[in-house]
Amino acid sequence: MENMNKIGRILMVEDDAKDVELTLTALEEYNLANEVVVTHDGEQALDYLYCRGEYKTRSRDNPAVMLLDLKLPKVDGLEVLKQIKADERLRIIPIVVLTSSKEEKDMVASYKLGVNAYVVKPVDFHEFANAIKELGVFWAIINEAPPGSVRK
Amino acid sequence: MARSNLQLQIASSKVLRYGVAVLSVSVALGGALLIERLHLHNITLFLFAIAVAAWYGGTRAAVLALLLSCISFAYFFVEPSHSIPYFILFASFASLVSWFSSVRRRVEGQLLQSRDELTERKHREQEIQSLNQELARRSTELESINKELEAFAYSVSHDLRAPLRHIAGYTELLQKKASSTLDEKSNRYLAMILDSAKRMGNLIDDLLAFSRIGRTETQKTLVSLAQLVTEALNEVRQDTEGRNISWKIGALPDFYGDRSMLRLVLVNLVSNAIKFTRTRPQAEIEIGCTDGNKGDLVVFVRDNGVGFDMKYVNKLFGVFQRLHQTDAFEGTGIGLATVQRIIHRHGGKVWAEGAVDGGATFYFSAPRPQGQLWRT
Repeated sequence: MENMNKIGRILMVEDDAKDVELTLTALEEYNLANEVVVTHDGEQALDYLYCRGEYKTRSRDNPAVMLLDLKLPKVDGLEVLKQIKADERLRIIPIVVLTSSKEEKDMVASYKLGVNAYVVKPVDFHEFANAIKELGVFWAIINEAPPGSVRK
Repeated sequence: MARSNLQLQIASSKVLRYGVAVLSVSVALGGALLIERLHLHNITLFLFAIAVAAWYGGTRAAVLALLLSCISFAYFFVEPSHSIPYFILFASFASLVSWFSSVRRRVEGQLLQSRDELTERKHREQEIQSLNQELARRSTELESINKELEAFAYSVSHDLRAPLRHIAGYTELLQKKASSTLDEKSNRYLAMILDSAKRMGNLIDDLLAFSRIGRTETQKTLVSLAQLVTEALNEVRQDTEGRNISWKIGALPDFYGDRSMLRLVLVNLVSNAIKFTRTRPQAEIEIGCTDGNKGDLVVFVRDNGVGFDMKYVNKLFGVFQRLHQTDAFEGTGIGLATVQRIIHRHGGKVWAEGAVDGGATFYFSAPRPQGQLWRT
């Protein structure tokens, strides 16, 4: 698969370590895990995107896609989404909300803020792995990421 | 105010009442004797005395004053044989003043009564106001409880599902990694963990859907039931694979209600029919519409499945009520409760008929839409 195209970097924002591992395991099955950056709360994710704090020294490029959980410590997912979509430089980053919440108000709020996709994490691992795989393949490989994002 | 109080006080006490009469006539007599000595007319003083007694003491005091006036007048001033015209004069004057006094007293009584009524009304207004405040307080309380409930449902939706996903996910990973080295029993345990996790996931989803029906507003539009049935059949198509089912779908009317909720009703009823006819080589499922009592609209879903004992018909629509073992027919026991809740919110009724091994029919009714909305 990785020979098909260059793989875009995935920025994952997820506070639950178990979910992080499950997601990485699912991505590993399709060799998509190498280019994943994990941040654990909204603030850290914004630090990464704005290259500040612990990410001060990283190369100034955007991820090919951002997987965003909604329920996050410090700055929650919707707030992160709002800040990114309001920023001229960052708003072109495709953002996929990946959440446990099936609540309509979350869905509506996310789409109103300009999210690119909304995925509810399935309870079943098979379905979960499939969803993650398809997300990874689509956004990191098939989709042409906006200019200025990393591909390796 | 002070005067009328004085008057009331006098009228209400016997001693004071007659005292006034005696006192006023005595004063008049004294005055009259004095005046006579000065050769002045004395009738006026007696009249005045009678007036005072009648005005302040009431009728009985007036009578006493009259009698005393007459006696003293006859005794001191005129011959008894000449006193009759004076008696008549005194009597008419006394009755005139008493009448005035009684009228005045009545008017004042009414005034007092209306003042009482006014105080009472004010009192009631205050009561109403305090009740209103209580109501407002309760309604805010209810609102906050509702919000809490919403937050609770949200938390269930999000927080309960995450650990469940981890249980299922890591069990599956373990199964993948170690199933070849595990014995048959251990593998079965893993499968059971997975099965339970999945079941719990379904339960959470169904419970959330059930609670959402209570929380969301119904958005009523004219809905084509025929269209909804088609959609419901599409949704449950997966469950009919490899099954031999003969469908009989009659003419269905349009229905005034919340589209997504009514869709859920039909999906639940149809998937139940599919589930409970599973043991039949040839399943028959009929969906149709009849006229109910009072011109209500009645829709039914009938199957030739395993049915149920009418003894337990009341349990069918309760939350978490199941009439079959989990192993025999899967399910969370919330489907029919959801159906009932939705139909109740539409002002209709749900009921069922069935027999063990004799199939089941589920009905729901709703008031026929007004005007020209209903057509088949």
